[in-house]
Amino acid sequence: MKQFLSDRLPFDGVMAHLRKPLPKHINLLFSLGSLAMFLLLLQAATGAFLALSYTPSPDHAYNAVKYISSGEVPFGKFVRGLHHWGASAMVVIVFLHLLRVVLYGSYKAPRELTWVFGVLLLLVTLGFGFTGYLLPWDEKAYWATKVGVEISGKAPILGEWVAKILRGGAEVGAVTLSRFYALHTIWLPWMAFTLVGIHLFFVRYYGSSGTPNNTAEEMHSGKPFFPDQVFEDVVGMLILFVVLACAALFAPVPLEDVADPTNADYDPRPEWYFLFLFQLLKYFQGPFEILGTFVIPTVGMLLLLFLPFLDRSERKVLWKRPIAMTVTSVCVVAIVGLTILGATAPKLETQDETQPADEVQQVTPTDTEPEDTDAEEDVFDFQLTDEEIEGAKEVGEEMQNP
Amino acid sequence: MSNNGRRSFLQIATAFIGGLISLAAGIPLIGFAISPAWKKEETQWVDLGFVDNLKNSRFKKVNYSFTAQDGWVKATKKRSVYVTDLGNGEWSVFSRTCSHLGCLVRWEESENSFLCPCHGAVFDKDGAVVAGPPPKPLQKLEVKVDNGLLFVKEA
Repeated sequence: MKQFLSDRLPFDGVMAHLRKPLPKHINLLFSLGSLAMFLLLLQAATGAFLALSYTPSPDHAYNAVKYISSGEVPFGKFVRGLHHWGASAMVVIVFLHLLRVVLYGSYKAPRELTWVFGVLLLLVTLGFGFTGYLLPWDEKAYWATKVGVEISGKAPILGEWVAKILRGGAEVGAVTLSRFYALHTIWLPWMAFTLVGIHLFFVRYYGSSGTPNNTAEEMHSGKPFFPDQVFEDVVGMLILFVVLACAALFAPVPLEDVADPTNADYDPRPEWYFLFLFQLLKYFQGPFEILGTFVIPTVGMLLLLFLPFLDRSERKVLWKRPIAMTVTSVCVVAIVGLTILGATAPKLETQDETQPADEVQQVTPTDTEPEDTDAEEDVFDFQLTDEEIEGAKEVGEEMQNP
Repeated sequence: MSNNGRRSFLQIATAFIGGLISLAAGIPLIGFAISPAWKKEETQWVDLGFVDNLKNSRFKKVNYSFTAQDGWVKATKKRSVYVTDLGNGEWSVFSRTCSHLGCLVRWEESENSFLCPCHGAVFDKDGAVVAGPPPKPLQKLEVKVDNGLLFVKEA
């Protein structure tokens, strides 16, 4: 088999490339990129299978997810659990990977483009999260998406347009669900795998950045990527998979009541990885609201994206980069702190003063239709008699066989 | 252990762990996808109407519908059958679904046969294959009479 492949493919060349030595002192933190890649593949696989039992329509989405989780479908609960906890794990791993790159100064020349495509992958990962949690169409899905899309509507000039494009209309509904499903299962995966391809190309092309303390001689005298580093990566993947499998088996994936746009008792909260943004909004009121909804997130993301072009010093050792260390620490503490504050913030204690259900006036759609359309005399009776049907058949046959 | 021996061990261990993860993730995923294959069909009795209205009928076409759980949807399913009163309280109800590839057969009185419009299958009045590719006869549905109504067993 090996001979067969060697005769037809540049197998030996590829293997020689993979066996090239890495820099010395490569540690476990260098497996984070591989773990992120593993999670992307796991999410793609579990998502592809979940899509077999899902309909992106408000009439059916909730029941479809309930059906998957009910035990009716073998392994349904497990596969959904893997996908749900895998999404959270992916955000954590991608964030840690980014943090490792910042702390080790690995984004510096000549690896600026590797960094830029990595940050774009972070955005795609968050996009997966944002579009994914609408799909169960439960209360959390509906309200968190409603608030999330409203935030995008606060952007100056184009904000309302962006919100309408995301929603597919004036409010979150059937078109929104369809759009988010398409984004989640087609658009974002294409973007993710394209960006991963480019990112990996740069990673292999420039090679590992090594640790900040590596000397020039140490850059090519460490263990080979294959099989040594790959083995460590695969052990990491196994540990991660076991953790996710345990979570999928023993930690139930939440599914709240079906989305109800009239439920004023519900306290909307986003997924935990958007809680820091959610909490941030509370500190900017009145005319400063736009700072929390648009200015800080946008400027923060642009600074992150163009970090290698802003920090052009060649120093990589952290304690020789006081500004980088301070800014990174402040950002990490702020994100973690805001997330904790958002998660522990007390929910509104007052309940919507609802009347008993039977006293709430329910207006059915027919009551709101213009009077003249439901007037009985105007309704066109589309019932054909048997004679008319037979006549139509004969006409049809004559047209086919003139 | 020599360097080569160590590297060989790492390669085998990597392949083993990779295979283990693939199996641990792959078996539930495949099971999830192919589970409809071993799902037991639920049956129910569906009424075709009053026996009095069907008395003396010979290959009378009856369309009916019933609700059934279809995955996560409560769906209305439509069916068409040929009903024949055999006398003495006996009934024959043939599904119109051709046993070949599922097209709907038609009763042709002049031919005294069921004809399939798709691939030329011909079934006799007892549903047995006379000509064409079907591998088995037309499906005869289980029937019962209850409270003056004729019921067929639906899957």
